[in-house]
This record gives sequence, C-alpha cells and structure tokens, in this order.
Amino acid sequence: MIKKINLLIVVVLFFSVQHGISQEWLVPADKQNVKNPLEYNLENVKKGKEIFMRECKSCHGEPGKNNALALTPAPPDIASSKMQKNSEGEMFYKISTGKGIMPSFKATLSENERWLLVNYFMNFNPKKSPVLVVAPPIKATLSGRVDAGKKLVTVFAEFKNKKGEQEKLTETPVNICIERAFGNLPVGQVITNNNGAADFKIPNNLIGDEEGFVTFVVSLGEGFDAKKVVLGKAKVGTPKETPKLIRKGVIWSTNDNIPMWMLLSYLGAIGGAWITIGYVVFQIMRIKGMSKG
Amino acid sequence: MNKIESPEESRKLLNKIVFDLTRSIVKKDELTRFWFFILIMFSAVGLWGWGVQIDKGLGVTGMRDYVSWGMYIANFVFFVAVSLIGFLISSTLHLLNISWSKPISRVAEQVAIAGVALAGIIIVNDMGHPDRLLNVFIHGRFASPIVWDVSVVMTYLTISVLLFYLPLIPDLALLRDRMGNEVPKWKMKIYSILALGWNGNAKQYKTIYHAMRVLMILIIPVGLSIHTVTSWLFAATLRAGWDSTIMGPYFVAGAFVAGSAAVVMLMYAYRLRYGLKEYFEDIHFDQMGKLLVFVSLLYLYFNVNEFLVPGYKMKAAEGVHLLNIFVGRYALMFWSVQILGLILPIILMLFRFFRKPLPLTIISVVMLIGAWFKRYIIVIPTLEHPFLPIQNVPAEFHHYSPTGIEIMITLFSFTAALLIITILAKLFPVITIWEYAEEKGIDKKYFSEQPKS
Ligand code: HEC
Repeated sequence: MIKKINLLIVVVLFFSVQHGISQEWLVPADKQNVKNPLEYNLENVKKGKEIFMRECKSCHGEPGKNNALALTPAPPDIASSKMQKNSEGEMFYKISTGKGIMPSFKATLSENERWLLVNYFMNFNPKKSPVLVVAPPIKATLSGRVDAGKKLVTVFAEFKNKKGEQEKLTETPVNICIERAFGNLPVGQVITNNNGAADFKIPNNLIGDEEGFVTFVVSLGEGFDAKKVVLGKAKVGTPKETPKLIRKGVIWSTNDNIPMWMLLSYLGAIGGAWITIGYVVFQIMRIKGMSKG
Repeated sequence: MNKIESPEESRKLLNKIVFDLTRSIVKKDELTRFWFFILIMFSAVGLWGWGVQIDKGLGVTGMRDYVSWGMYIANFVFFVAVSLIGFLISSTLHLLNISWSKPISRVAEQVAIAGVALAGIIIVNDMGHPDRLLNVFIHGRFASPIVWDVSVVMTYLTISVLLFYLPLIPDLALLRDRMGNEVPKWKMKIYSILALGWNGNAKQYKTIYHAMRVLMILIIPVGLSIHTVTSWLFAATLRAGWDSTIMGPYFVAGAFVAGSAAVVMLMYAYRLRYGLKEYFEDIHFDQMGKLLVFVSLLYLYFNVNEFLVPGYKMKAAEGVHLLNIFVGRYALMFWSVQILGLILPIILMLFRFFRKPLPLTIISVVMLIGAWFKRYIIVIPTLEHPFLPIQNVPAEFHHYSPTGIEIMITLFSFTAALLIITILAKLFPVITIWEYAEEKGIDKKYFSEQPKS
C-alpha cells in the first residue's frame, strides 16, 4: 500500500516537474517572500498605474478587461487570479527578470518603480481592499456645431445623474478630431465650462478636402460611455492640394498639357500637307475641264 | 534622248510598247487564277484568325503584361519601312533627273501603296477592339507620337495613291482608246472614268507635270516623317534599347534597304511573268543593286552607331538588354540578321555578277527576310525586361513567343499586300507607258491617236 502511494507521489511529482519546465514560472524561494518596501496607499497605487499604462498595457491590456495582446503564452490580465496568486516578491522578481516574450525591466525601470507596479497590482488583489476605485462609466451625450464664420467648434456635454435627470457635464475634457481617409486625426482638446459647453478655435492652417471642407468628430475620454458625434461638413479648412496626376511637360501628355510649340508644329505640318494635297486634287479636277479646250 | 522623226516608226514602236506593257492586263491563264486563289485563300484564313482574336480577345496572342507589343507591331514597322521606297524612287530619284529609275517608279509606288495600307490594317489588328480605333480621333492626344503616326500614315497613303494615279491618267486614256477589244467592259469603264476625259492637249500635260512636281516635293518631308514618327513610337520613351537619338535616320535607312529589296523582287517577278525583259533590263537591276549597296552601307553605319556606342558604355539597364541580343536569347537572330541580312549582301553586291537579275533577286529575298526579323529584334527583346522587380508573375509573362493565331494574321498581311499589288498590276500597266515611250523618242502627239487597225 505504502509502495503504491510512493509510486503515485513519484508519478505526480514527475508530471508536475514536467509541467513546470514548460509552463510554470518558478521563482527562487529566497525571492518569493521579499517584502514590499513601499506602503500600499492611494498615492503609490496611482503612481504604479501611470507606469503600467505606459510600459505594460500594450501587452497586458487594461485590468479586468481581458484585452491582452494575443501572444502565446498570453500575458495574463493583472486582475486575473493567475496574476494575483503571485506573492508580492514573486511579482517583483518576474517583472525584474522577464521570461520569453515578457521583457526584463531590471534595466529600464528602477527598483522603486517596479515596487510601485507591484503596489498597483495589489489594488486588484482579492485579499486587499482596493484603494483606487474606477467608477463605472458615466452615460453621457455630446452635441455640437461648427460656426464656419467665426471658425469655432462649440460642443455641449450632458450626462444622466443618479436620479436619472439630464445634467450639464462640467469640467470635462472633450476630444476634437477631424475625419481623414484612414481614421480620425486628433486636432485638440477642450474642457467644458459650467454650462457643459466648450469652444474649439479652428486653426487657420487646417487642411480640408479638395474644396476645403472639414468634418469634425467629437468624443469624451475615459470614464464616459458616450457615442462619438460626427458634426456636419463645414468649409473651414484650406483646400487640399491635389497634385495633378499628369504633370505638364511629361511625354505623351494630355491635350491640356501639350506645349504650344508642339501643337502648332503638329497642326502646321499636317495642315500644310493636306492643303497641298487639296491643291493637287483641285488640279486633277481641272484636267477634265481642259479636255474641251 | 533622240527623237524619232518618222511617224511610221513612231507608231510602230508605240504599238509595240503598248502591246508589251498591257500584257499584264490582258494575260489570263491558269497560273493567274491559281495565284489569286492562293492569295485569297490565305487571306481568308488570316481573316478567320482575326475573327477568333476579336471574339476571344488578345489573350489568344502571345502578348502579355510586359511584352505588350509583339509580332504585330514588328510587322507594322516592317510594312511602313517597305512603303518608304515609293518616295525614294518615284520622287527623289525623279527630281534628281536620274532616268534609269523612271520605269521603276510605278513598281515602287505599288509597293508603297500596299505597304502603307497594310501598315494601317496591322495597327487595327493589334487592337483587341478594332472599333476603338475611333478613340484616336475622339480622345487622341496631340502630344502622343501615336496620333502623329496615324496622321502621317494617312497622309502618306493619300499622297502615294495620288502619285500613283497622276502619271497613270495619260496611260488610262491610252488604254481607253486602244484596249476596247481585249479587256472586259467593266475594266474599260474604270479606265474611261479615271482617265478624266484626257485628250492629251498641252494644257493638260502642263497641269499634270505641275501637280506631279508638287506631289513629288511634298512626299519628301511626308515620307521622311512617316518613318521618323514610327521610330519615335519607340524613341519617345525612356525604355533602354529604344531611348536613342538616332532612331529616326536609323529607321529611314533601314526602310530604304527593305523597300529596295522588295522592289527588286517585284521587278524580277514582272520581268519573268509578263515578259518585260526589254523594259526591266539588266541595267535596271545593276543600278538597283548599286542603290541597295548604298542604302545598306548607310544602314550599316547607323547600326554600328546604334549598337557600338551603347555597347561600349554598357549602362546598367541598356547593358542587360544588349547582352540579351549580343550573346543571350536573341543572339542567333541578331547576328544572322546583321551578317546574312546586311554585311554579306553588301559584300556580294559589290561584284557585278551579283547585281544580275537572278542573283540580285535572291539576295533581295534574304535581305527582306532579314529586315523583317530586324524589326522583331527592335520591338520585342526590349520589352522583355520589366526593369522593375516583379513577383508572382506567371511564367509565360516573362518571355514572348507568337502564337499560331498571331502568325496566321501576320501571314494574312503579306498575302493581302501581294493581293493589292497583284490587283494593281492586273488593272494598270506596271510601267508608265507614255513616259517610257517619250523616253524612247516618240512624240506626245502619237499617244492620243487611235490606232488604225
Ligand atoms: C511584450 C509584451 C509584454 C510587455 C510589454 C509586458 N509583459 Fe508582462 N508578460 C508578458 C507575457 C507574454 C507574459 C507571460 C510569460 C509566460 O508566462 O511565459 C507576461 C507575464 C508577466 C508576469 C507574470 C504573470 C504570471 O503568469 O505569473 C508579470 C508579473 C508581468 N508580466 C508584469 C509585467 C509588467 C509589470 C509589465 C510592464 C512594466 C509587463 N509585464 C510588460 C508580456 C509582456
């Protein structure tokens, strides 16, 4: 019986080691329990978030949204249990050393910065109470108009408050973009005033379409659940220069581009030849009349 | 020119000349019918091929994205080239008062008409949609050598026809007056309409001399233009192998070679077939041989320039092209054309023996074939280099070889040209009777006499 159990243990161990070689990211024992030197508080979590957004989001995605880059192995979502079952020491070790696609940040981030990241990760730890709470997105609506004369884009923002009433959205950044062939081009940001309105001064050098028309698209930033709003076309830009596909002076060019000397030479030569031919034909016709003479 | 004084002698000689020179019109035998049958049959087969091409599209040819000018365009250049002889012999030599060329004028004019007419037709069969020819007139660009070429081909064709017709008028009157018993009514009708009521008075002769002179002068710039502009179809591009400044004179010189060879062949055929030994004499062949040597040397000189100078520099793209024709895929064709079609004939024709009718005709055949392949070398190898990296291109796009349909349509152009020449020879004397008789010393006043029979 004991032998059997021993065998079982050996088998299980064998498989788990096998498993570990390919999957498990083992952290040396002495590194596992290194204590976080920084205090877990709002300030440190916010700092950690900033670094995360800059350095890590591109692969790991946003916390809780499971929108990591499709790599194998996948970069785990930081709110996932796979990530959170790491101890703080393990997290620090893994960020520092990296593995495979996961880069090592030992050289690019200071020890302090790496611990700040661990602090941010802790904000999603089930055993800790979060200090940085992201409010659910606010349902908001945007509207706006373009004043071509004053060269102003005016936007208005409203949201539904807790009582379900429409209320002006104040002190909120609104992104101003213009439509381009391959997506929207950001041209500025304005902050709404106490009336939920904001003005965007259209720059003079803005380039529109061939006739100078520009289509503005306004949107709210993070934390809002609002549709992008496409404002109507307005002639507020400078017309886009469209280089003529066929330039002047190019060989075999169109009739619009033909140099005058060439046209005159052609018409002169052909005209001269055919006038002469006409003269000869006229002479031939005269022969008939002459037979009586 | 010694005038024959006696009226009897004049009339007798004139009768003989008329009899000899109308033999081509009167003669009717099995061979003539067979010849017409062959020509019409081959032309019909070619036209059927053309029908297939119109129905299925240009995909039935070997032309693809890179080589988009194939055998048709090479053939077009060949026919334009051949037609140029009309202006050299019937105008330039005439204006220079070179008398031996006079009996050959009409032969040269026949070649010119057939050549330039076919050149026009070949361009149309190079188009997938023949109806799109109209676009040249609707949407043509005046800066495009293609428009210039279309204009000049039409102009040259018109002038060639007029230059064929003008000296024919007194002959037509002669035929109208004398041939009543020997040719069918419809032919007589044609003669009498085209003769324009000619009765040979001084005023009429004066007018015709004047009109001929105007045309002979006009055809010189037009003739030079037609082949120069054809060469610009190539030279007015930036493509290595075509981007050359001597293309114009190079083409014109080459055209004289091809055209002279064609005229010699035709002269020999007429001499043999219509018993015109006394008209296309040995001296005419001898002189044509000398002319051929002269224009061939000129052409050789341009060839040396066209290949030696770029061959010395071997500019990147040009080098690729030149190696391809000197030692590559086209080497055999290129050297055969240059040596067998140009250098060897020049050397041979320096000897009097090879300027005799039969040897000269054989040499002309070889030269004419060489001239055709030379056009092939000018057009096709250049296009086989895309000069840009290409990828995932079907293998058949890399090289060009003509398909059966293409060869069939090209053969059609030859039989059609021969058909035009044959019809002209069957309708009208192949030598200008009145000019020839006058040259022999017969006074003009006898031409309009009705023969007393
Ligand atoms: C190039 C993409 C990429 C970037 C950038 C990146 N990671 Fe990773 N990360 C990965 C991948 C892939 C894995 C999974 C590695 C494995 O399991 O082999 C991973 C794993 C991890 C792990 C271990 C998770 C576990 O399963 O135990 C941590 C912790 C981690 N990353 C933190 C970070 C931090 C913090 C940053 C930013 C400073 C960052 N990563 C930036 C791709 C990335």
